[in-house]
Amino acid sequence: MSQRPSTLPITLGGLVRIQPLARASRLHFADPLRQVEQVVLAQTFERLRRCAPHVLVVLHDTAAAGGWSLAAALHLAWERNVSAVVVSGAVAGSAGAALAERLNMTLLAIDSDPVDVALQLAGQVSAPAAARALGQALCAERLAEQTHVRGVLGVLNSELQNAPVALVIGETAVAGRVAALQDKTNARRVEVEVQGPDEQPWARLVAAVPVNGPMAVEQVESLLRLARPSLQAAWAQTRLDSTVHSAHEQAAFGLLRRLAAEPPPDAPAGPVEIETPPWSSELGWQIDGVNRAVWLTPLRPSGAPSEEVTHLVRAAWQRGRTHWPLVVDGDSWISWHSSEDADDVGPLRRAVTAFRDSAAAHRLVIGVGQAHPGVAGLMRSVAEARLAAYVARKQGPAGVQWFDQVGASAALAWLPTTEIAQVADLCLAELMDARDRMALVQTVLAVLDCGGSLSQASQRLGVHRNTVLARLTRARQLGLAYDEPEQRLALHVLCYALASLWTQSGTDE
Amino acid sequence: MSGAATWISAADVPALYEGAKFYAPAVGDAGRSSLTSWLTGLLEREGPVALHRVETMAPETPCVSLCVLGSGSALADLPPAGDEFVAAIRQIEQLQGVRFGAVYPLAAATVSALVPVAAAAQLGVPLLDADGMGRAFALIHHTAMYLAGISPTPLVAFGPTGDSVLVDARTGARADRLLRASLDTLGGWAALASYPTTAGALRRGALPGTISRIANVGRVLLQQTDPDLLISRLAAITGCRRLGRGRISELEQLSRPSDGSIPAHPSSVVIDETDGQRRQLRIELRSEIVAVFANGELIAGAPDLLCLVDATRGTLATLDNLERGDLVDVLVTPGDAVWYSDEGMAMVGLSFHGIPLDHPRRLRGEP
Repeated sequence: MSQRPSTLPITLGGLVRIQPLARASRLHFADPLRQVEQVVLAQTFERLRRCAPHVLVVLHDTAAAGGWSLAAALHLAWERNVSAVVVSGAVAGSAGAALAERLNMTLLAIDSDPVDVALQLAGQVSAPAAARALGQALCAERLAEQTHVRGVLGVLNSELQNAPVALVIGETAVAGRVAALQDKTNARRVEVEVQGPDEQPWARLVAAVPVNGPMAVEQVESLLRLARPSLQAAWAQTRLDSTVHSAHEQAAFGLLRRLAAEPPPDAPAGPVEIETPPWSSELGWQIDGVNRAVWLTPLRPSGAPSEEVTHLVRAAWQRGRTHWPLVVDGDSWISWHSSEDADDVGPLRRAVTAFRDSAAAHRLVIGVGQAHPGVAGLMRSVAEARLAAYVARKQGPAGVQWFDQVGASAALAWLPTTEIAQVADLCLAELMDARDRMALVQTVLAVLDCGGSLSQASQRLGVHRNTVLARLTRARQLGLAYDEPEQRLALHVLCYALASLWTQSGTDE
Repeated sequence: MSGAATWISAADVPALYEGAKFYAPAVGDAGRSSLTSWLTGLLEREGPVALHRVETMAPETPCVSLCVLGSGSALADLPPAGDEFVAAIRQIEQLQGVRFGAVYPLAAATVSALVPVAAAAQLGVPLLDADGMGRAFALIHHTAMYLAGISPTPLVAFGPTGDSVLVDARTGARADRLLRASLDTLGGWAALASYPTTAGALRRGALPGTISRIANVGRVLLQQTDPDLLISRLAAITGCRRLGRGRISELEQLSRPSDGSIPAHPSSVVIDETDGQRRQLRIELRSEIVAVFANGELIAGAPDLLCLVDATRGTLATLDNLERGDLVDVLVTPGDAVWYSDEGMAMVGLSFHGIPLDHPRRLRGEP
């Protein structure tokens, strides 16, 4: 289906983007959205007096004689409500520009012959579609020069003036003007899908085009389509950049860790102050203050994360906090917040809360260390965060654990529960064969946790005290001799390992 | 000679000079002291000069006009020996075989308003309270007498070097061009005696009362006062009004092309109004202030008399002393009625200065 080109008159903003007015200096530019319906070459003031509104006047001869003539022409143009006045640069001085500003009349100064300029402009105004196409071609050139998503959106927004444009992923505007997403009765929404490198829809370009504006919907749509290749290139560039950046951060953190682990040979005994290496600030890292580390790790580790996952985690973690580092470490990611005040946990708390949805989506858990100063303090906080993260695994996806609240129970997080459970298969074969083994193990664990108190254990399990007693009897018969002092620690650990494993897997298989 | 006369004495010279400046704001103060002291000394020696209204003179009395032709700075560089004006008059008397019974200024403005007083004192004849322009125009045929059909010729220009030129031409414009061609050789300025005629012809041709008017204006200007009071007092005598007050923001030289008809370069002064509507006032200059535009709209123009008053000091601002940042009042004084006739407008109106716009008075429907 062929679309009929728009017959809307061209705007002043459209005309100044293409030659000959692209070269003109703008002594005053009142309104880029003013329509230009006709071009008048005014040689005399009489001709100016006969101008219709919305014309563009090119002054020439008597009307552009200099001195008073420009002032008088501007006044007449203002009286006649013309769109703009074009005059030779030799005539237009600063007083002319000041008067144009006072009258809010667009005044453009040209260096070439006014008659030639008027002829070219008349051609452009009489064929607005062709002029717009020329404008679009120039815009395409500017789009192609952009290497960042923001740059592309900047060009689109400057080109479309009063039609805000945004790049939207999901329902979130990631670049451009958010006004594009606001529902307005007097604006029409134009959307163009942008595909990623894998030819899957990646984002949408959304523009809100004013209904009575000077810009046709088709014109906006074709501009948005023109921007797609530049956006795709910018996106690819970002991915490439982030891969390099990620490797850079990883190496730098490794170096930092080594610095903390191996203090200089001539350093005195005791705690050592390690100077923050200058290259850390090149990465935008802050280490000098009090550092509190965050350890992001999968609920079930499965080797080093892919670049894509790292990219997504980075995007989610650094949303609004672009200066916070994110370093890949084995199967996990390390970040930290540095501040002057050790008790300043507000930003970190907000960051963790904001990240929880993403953590749930990627099945991650979060551990937060304590605040310690300097490089050595950072490394200590990282170790604490890592411990806390192991504890957090008990809470399932998006679990958050602050090291301050873990204490000695962190030690349990390190138990090789899978291996211990395998031991149970060998030592307690009878119990492991029993169908009610899960209830029995949980009951024995509860009684041991409660220091042998049956009533406390029955409360924790939510069953009658007699039930607890009956299960204990049966457990003892199947080999779980929990009340023998020399076996109690071993059986407590075994029961803990089995219960943890079954809670994690949701089954006792 | 009959009828009542007033007298111009040495004490009136400063007032005459100030008043003459009001009617020719383009002229600087270059030759002031030498000229006024010469005239003052002359009047002290010869006694006061009688000033007669034209209608009080016998109609057949032969009269001749006087003025200084050329540049004021040339006059300052090469001051008059003192006999140039009388010598110019004597040449015409010789040519025509008459004895002039009275002299009058060609233009009651600039130094040209003072020299007829000096000549009258030297010749012992009365001075007529009338002139040909009511102000100063650039060319010698831009006079009310010329419009009334009185010929400027035969005329004599007598230079400070003692040389003279006698011109007889068919039209005023040709006489002016012939005269200007000799001006450099004569010494940059010359004493001009022209428009030899009779008092009867001047009754219908000259503009009456203009000498007493500049004396009155001069007396007001000499009283140092605040600008607002000064302007109200001037308004009572001249009918002037203030167009606006503002600060000079720009001085543009050679701001537009010149057609060469007037011996002065076009330039512009841009003033930002400091009160009222805060308009941009653009003042177009040539040998005088030609037009005033407010935000590009023509609000006053030749033959209106336009001048600037230094609003800080309450004195007239001469055009060659303007500087960026000066606070000035722009005054407009209506010219004599003859200049608003079709013939007058064609002669000295806006179109003569290359501004093809209708005069604001015409746009307002005034005669």
